[in-house]
Parts: sequence; structure tokens; C-alpha cells
Amino acid sequence: MMERLATWCRLKSPWILHINAGGCNGCDIEILAALTPRYDVERFGILLKPSPRHADVMVIAGVMTRQIAERVKRVYEQMPEPKFVLAVGACALTGGVFQNCYGQAMRVDQIIPVDVYVPGCPPKPEAIIDGVVKLLEKAKGGAPADEGRRE
Amino acid sequence: MGTADLIIGPQHPALHEPERFVLKLDGEYVVDVVPRIGYVHRGIEKAAELRTYIQDTYLVERICGICNVSHSLVYVQTVESLQGTEVPPRAAYLRAVVHELNRVHSHLLLLGVVGELFGFDTLFMYLWRDRELVMDVVESITGNRLISAFNVLGGVARDVDQSQVKEAKKAMEYLRGRMKFYKKAFAEDPTVEKRSKGVGILKPSSALDLCAVGPVIRGSGIKTDIRADDPYAAYGEIPFNVITYDTNDSWARFMVRVDEIFEAIGIIEYALDHLPEGPIRARFPRRVREGEAVGRVEAPRGELVDHIISKGGDKPYRFKCRTPTLANILAACEMIRGGQIADVPVSLSSIDPCFACEDRLAIIDVSKGERYSARLRDLMAKYGASR
Amino acid sequence: MRAEGSEGSFIEGLRSELGDRILEARVLGPRRVAISVKPGDHRIAMEALKKFGGSHMSTITGTDMGEAIEISYHVWCYQAKMEVSIRTGIPKSSPIIETVSDLIPGSVLYEAEARDLLGIEFKGLPYEGRLVLPEDWPEGVCPLRKDWKPDWLK
Repeated sequence: MMERLATWCRLKSPWILHINAGGCNGCDIEILAALTPRYDVERFGILLKPSPRHADVMVIAGVMTRQIAERVKRVYEQMPEPKFVLAVGACALTGGVFQNCYGQAMRVDQIIPVDVYVPGCPPKPEAIIDGVVKLLEKAKGGAPADEGRRE
Repeated sequence: MGTADLIIGPQHPALHEPERFVLKLDGEYVVDVVPRIGYVHRGIEKAAELRTYIQDTYLVERICGICNVSHSLVYVQTVESLQGTEVPPRAAYLRAVVHELNRVHSHLLLLGVVGELFGFDTLFMYLWRDRELVMDVVESITGNRLISAFNVLGGVARDVDQSQVKEAKKAMEYLRGRMKFYKKAFAEDPTVEKRSKGVGILKPSSALDLCAVGPVIRGSGIKTDIRADDPYAAYGEIPFNVITYDTNDSWARFMVRVDEIFEAIGIIEYALDHLPEGPIRARFPRRVREGEAVGRVEAPRGELVDHIISKGGDKPYRFKCRTPTLANILAACEMIRGGQIADVPVSLSSIDPCFACEDRLAIIDVSKGERYSARLRDLMAKYGASR
Repeated sequence: MRAEGSEGSFIEGLRSELGDRILEARVLGPRRVAISVKPGDHRIAMEALKKFGGSHMSTITGTDMGEAIEISYHVWCYQAKMEVSIRTGIPKSSPIIETVSDLIPGSVLYEAEARDLLGIEFKGLPYEGRLVLPEDWPEGVCPLRKDWKPDWLK
């Protein structure tokens, strides 16, 4: 897996915008852990960027409340093409354990198109990295593939 | 300084950024703070009423992923207290071990985040690398790195064998050595000193009036810790020290956590050395009897309290959970009120808030007549260097 | 280790302060005591608790009990090392009670939360607006009342 990642990244260094929608923060700290020395995705050129205008990939985790949903949509619109979305964790995917809580409004893919889903509660950093690799392979053509994307 | 004609400026009124705090700024000084936490409200207490006690064990763990062990522990303890069930001694000791491991990982996480806030990317990386050792031990004992699903009604889910005990103790010994380096870093580094000593003062009388908890109140010299004053699990039988610092500032609150890691390592070693023999789980009925109970644990951030009312049956009538971050919000407001905007990120981090650097503050600048939204991280970047 | 019956003797101590303002007293467990009082007496009970080091408000629970809303103030007494729940009930049709935030300032956010979720009016509470619910949550809709159901349940 690491060799495929290294190959892709020699071609392009993906910059990531991490959105924490709120929720238990479990996924967010496993995403952050992927950047730390044990997993160290930074050596492949993957960088965390604060601004949507510089990001290639949005990595999003957490429970989509109504307010968060509006903000996520706005941020997605500010990202330049080509752009990709990695949804991490059960809450972003389906609402997870918070399904049918009155605070949870929707799934991520009801707000923005998602390219790769990483299930788990939370998924281990290895699973998140695997998701990133699948995303980069899918995007190798330059433009995001339309099949498999839910609108 | 009128507050009526304030909201003008770059922020479009229709764009509502969700914000944790609203700060009123006059020049460099914060003149008022109001907390608002509505945008991440999930409706968990209501959801708990619609799920069984067993299902709720897994729901409450996800109130906060970082201190999930504390949430499941206080929950099962409260339901067990309602039912009048005593857990076996071996389970009580194992609960304490995993609870302390959770404390260590949580404190290391916060110290790393604070290190990064100060501009020490390397310190952040070192701390999170060493934190991985703790995650390994937790995974070995509970089966999961983070959200452990270890505490169950009546006891714990899994037992430990000698090899796991050995591995855990080896990791703790190594970590103790690393902590000596980190203690020096936080206690003696000139940048850490400059940015946290004297910053975010919380007087002991204020800490008590505002009902602050955990390292926040202990950093103002008040010696209170639920593990000592209101013991639960095996804490009544395990010797340890309650850590206080009396400088009342952000530095004190960081140092309390540093020393608590040492204490936690000691508790884990003692508990593993003194593990009683016997079962790990008592029988627990699906339907809980009528009554109510109040449970309290010392989570990494402070007092975590549950109140459960049962009218008999397999679902709770009322589930109330008060997280320690909520208890410390008034104290946080007190720390930053009257202080400089440059100190806000450090003071807010010193309460180890359950929210992220990505979270936003609304700032109403009275002197300029502007209202804007900023992330904690941006505030640090803009003002951090000025100290 | 605590002597047995320390919860019982604590209740006796409270009775000597409050007399028959205490409508009911129960031991919930080690270091856990609950007393019921009339609304209005809740402030007097809280002042009495201060004599036992009762200055830390752990939290405040509001519960919809059908006709009434029950409010429990959970106070940790530092000296006595006891968690005391002061319980009182107010009519749901008119859920008004005096604040205790002047007695224990740390109560402010807990009362604000109970106001959001149950519609209790705390007279004299120095916090305006929404705390835990989003700012555009409709007025008068109280999600923790038993008759409120989220959309998917209706």
C-alpha cells in the first residue's frame, strides 16, 4: 500500500483540508494521528492546509448538524477543481450511533458528493490512509470519476 | 462604550458561522465573553431514553471519543448503583487501569496540541508518537485503540493475561522515562513560560464559585479529586497523590496534567501488580429496577457526572450527563475576561476543551465597530508572536 | 473507609437545620443523599448545605414527570464528602422557579441548559438566549419534554 501511495505522490502532492463537523472527535484525532511519526503520511507530501482554496482533498468526519451542513457546503464550493472528498467514520456516512438523534440532520453525501467512504467508529489510521490511497488511485486520471459518486 | 451599535463590518449577516464564544474586544482587551455551544448539540439525552441500557453503553462512549472510557465508566457505575449491583474486585481494578490509560492518552494529546500552539511542531510530534504506545496497550487490553467498549454493565468485557500485563508495564516504564523529558520541556522552556505563566489567571475563590473541575481547579491550588474524595472502581485501595499547583495560571493547569501522567503510570503499575483473582463480570438484568442514582468520575478533564432515573424496564426514563468541559466554561470566560486577545488561545487550551482549534470565536471589536469570526488557530497565528 | 450510617447521620444534620422543610429524604448509595423540598425552599436548603461545605454545583437535572417538572440540584459538599440532590417539583403548565445562581454562580449554565431543553423559567438567571440549542431553534419547543418527538418518530 505504501509503495502505491509513494508512486502517486511523486506525481502530485495532495493537500488536505480537514473538516471536523463536531461529534465525538474520535475520527478527527485518528486523522491527526495519521500525520504523526508512527504513520507519517507527511513524508508522501500529504499536507494539512487551513484554507479550502489551497486544498485538493476534503477529509470530513463527524455528525452533520444543520448548521455544520451549511458551512460544509460553503467550504466545498470554495475549493478549486479538481477536488475530492473523503468521508471518514460512521457518523459522516450514516449518522452512526447518532442516527435519529434530533441534532443529526443528514449524511455528508446529502450535502456534497463523496468520492471515498471510510467506515469505522473510529477507523484506525491505517484504514484512513487506505482510503486516501483509493481516492488518489481513483483520481489518477486528473478528474474525479463519476461512477461511484453519489450526488 | 456603547454595545447597541456594534454589529457592522465585514461579516455578512446572513452568513452564520457557528461559534463557541462571542468575545467583545476593545483594542487589545477582551471586555466581555459569552459562551454559545449550540451548533454541535446532538440530542443524546433524548436519544438515550429511546434505547435500552445496553445500547446506551455504546451511545455514551461516543459523547466524547477522547475520554470515552470515563463516559462508559460513569454510566455503568450509575446504572449498577441504581440496581444495587457490585462488580467483582478484578473488574474494579481493570476498570481503573483502563481509566488511567485513557487519562494518560488524553493528557498527552492535549500537551501535544498545546506544544503545536506554541509553535513547537517537534514537541507535538514527539508527544503523539509516545502516545501511540498508550494506544497500543489500550488496543491490547480492550481490543480497540480509541473507543474501547471495555466497561459493560456488571464489569468489564475482557480479561487480561500475564503477557498483556507484562507488555503494559514495559510500556509504562518507557513512558515514565519519556515524561521526564516532557516535564522539563513544559516546566523550564522559556517560550512555554513566556506564553503561559501569568496567563489566564483563575483565583481559587473564583474557581470555587464558578464550580470549576479537574486540572482547572487543581491548577488554582484546590486539592479535590473524585478518585480520592468519592472513590470508585478500585481507587479506594490504590495509593496516589492528588496534584495541585498554586500559580492559578495556564502554566499551572498544564503542569497539573504533566504530573498527573506520572501518577497515572504509578496507579496502572500498582493495579496490575495487585490484580485480584476472580470473575470479571457480575450478572446484570436486562430490566433495571425503579429508582435513581448519581454517578461521578474524575475524567481527564475533570468531574463527569451522570444522573439516571428509572421507572423500571429496559430503557432509562431520564439520562443526564454533565461533561467537565461544560463545567469549566464559566472559568474559561473568567480567565479571558479583562485579559489580552493574544492570551485567549492559550487560556482556552488550558481547560483542555472538548472542542478543536478549528472552532470559531465571534469577535465584536467595539473600538473598530466590526464583527468577525476567527478560528482559535488563526488567533494564535495573529497574536501569538506578540507575547 | 467511611463509617456506616454516615449518610444517615448527614441527613439528621440536615433535618436539624431545615426541620420539616425536608418533605422526604433518601440514601441513594455511599456518599449519595437525596432530599425533596417545596419550590422556594430549594434556596433555603442550598444555603443550609453551605454549612457542610456544599458549594459545588455538579449539575442540575430537569425531568418531565407528566404533570410536573422535577428539578434536581446536585451539590457536592466538600467538608462532608457527600453528594446531595435537592429535589423539587414545579407545575408543567407554569414552570417558574427562582434562580440559585446568586448562591452558587457555577449554576448559570446548568439553568440555561434546563431552560433550553425543558422550558423552565429561572427567575433572575443572568444568561440570555440559547446555550445548547441552535440559535434558530423555535421558541416554545422543548425537546426533553416527553410529548416532543423528533420528526422521524411522528
